Amino acid sequence: MASNIHRPAPGDDLPDFELPDHNGNCRRLSALVGGDPAVLQFYRGFWCPKDRAQFRGLVKLQDQVEVAYTRMISVSVDPPEVEAAFRAGIGARWTFLSDASRELQAQLGLLEITDTVHGPYVPTVFTLYPDLKIHSVYNGYWFWGRPTNAELATDLRAITRAVRADWEVPVR
Amino acid sequence: MTRPWHWFAFRPEPPTDAFASAPAFRADGTQLGFLATWLVGSRRKPVGALGIDARAIDPRGDPAWISLALAPERTRVPFDDPAVCQAMRMVLCGSPADVMSTLVFDPSTIGGAFTATHAPTPEGLADDPFARIFPHTLLRVHAGFVGMMPAPAGPGVQRYSGAPWPWDHF
Repeated sequence: MASNIHRPAPGDDLPDFELPDHNGNCRRLSALVGGDPAVLQFYRGFWCPKDRAQFRGLVKLQDQVEVAYTRMISVSVDPPEVEAAFRAGIGARWTFLSDASRELQAQLGLLEITDTVHGPYVPTVFTLYPDLKIHSVYNGYWFWGRPTNAELATDLRAITRAVRADWEVPVR
Repeated sequence: MTRPWHWFAFRPEPPTDAFASAPAFRADGTQLGFLATWLVGSRRKPVGALGIDARAIDPRGDPAWISLALAPERTRVPFDDPAVCQAMRMVLCGSPADVMSTLVFDPSTIGGAFTATHAPTPEGLADDPFARIFPHTLLRVHAGFVGMMPAPAGPGVQRYSGAPWPWDHF
């Protein structure tokens, strides 16, 4: 079905939105991204087997991300307390944001209209530059549209190379 | 740009030149000494001082409970020690405190950790991961010392240019 909503695309700047995190504290995207490359994931919810499979991969990826000056952020329409329980259950150590009001979902045009029960996000992953410019977008409505960890690593390498002035090792 | 850290030390007497200082009490009310901070760059490093995330300190802050974990004298624990990395991971997994900063001894050595809550009781500090690595003391301070800072974003456990974790940018 055609839509008039422009979904964020590579090269666009994502809005610097503010949402409650999994502890209920208000967090701004730019503060979470800081000055680092980032992976921003929108997911359906804890109940989705595809999301759970994707998260198993992301939890593995965090062991590399944690030493790579890179951020990860996950967003759903679940309330903070549900996200906190899910986050703890899978062993994630990054920040989850709750768009329970669905305002951001509408702003980004990421409502999955085929699920009239949950009204979730279309599973989508963005890789971001530190200034919130989009490097890549992965539409995960079908599972194979979601990025592999290798694809995320390729994106993060490209972003890091672009933003770190000392990517080429400094020499005397 | 705000400097990412201050100098922090425990002193038996109140220092006269500190950016902020406060008497520190044990849970039973007995006074132990004074916590103090100095602005980096305003003077030479005070003897025995450790780096602390600047956001942890606020001369207008509310009363607080502090879990102060300090490495014993002459004990050198690298920041990259797996036990230290795991403690940072546990901080990211748990419920965030109002304040949490590692303490920097030198560019590669951790001096301990400072974790605080403005809650009226210290229960939220009972599971301080750094208390499993270093000897730790539960302290109470009056208003005028402990600040507020956002929870670390995660999952990073590396420091930015040697600043105390979780200071989060270069």
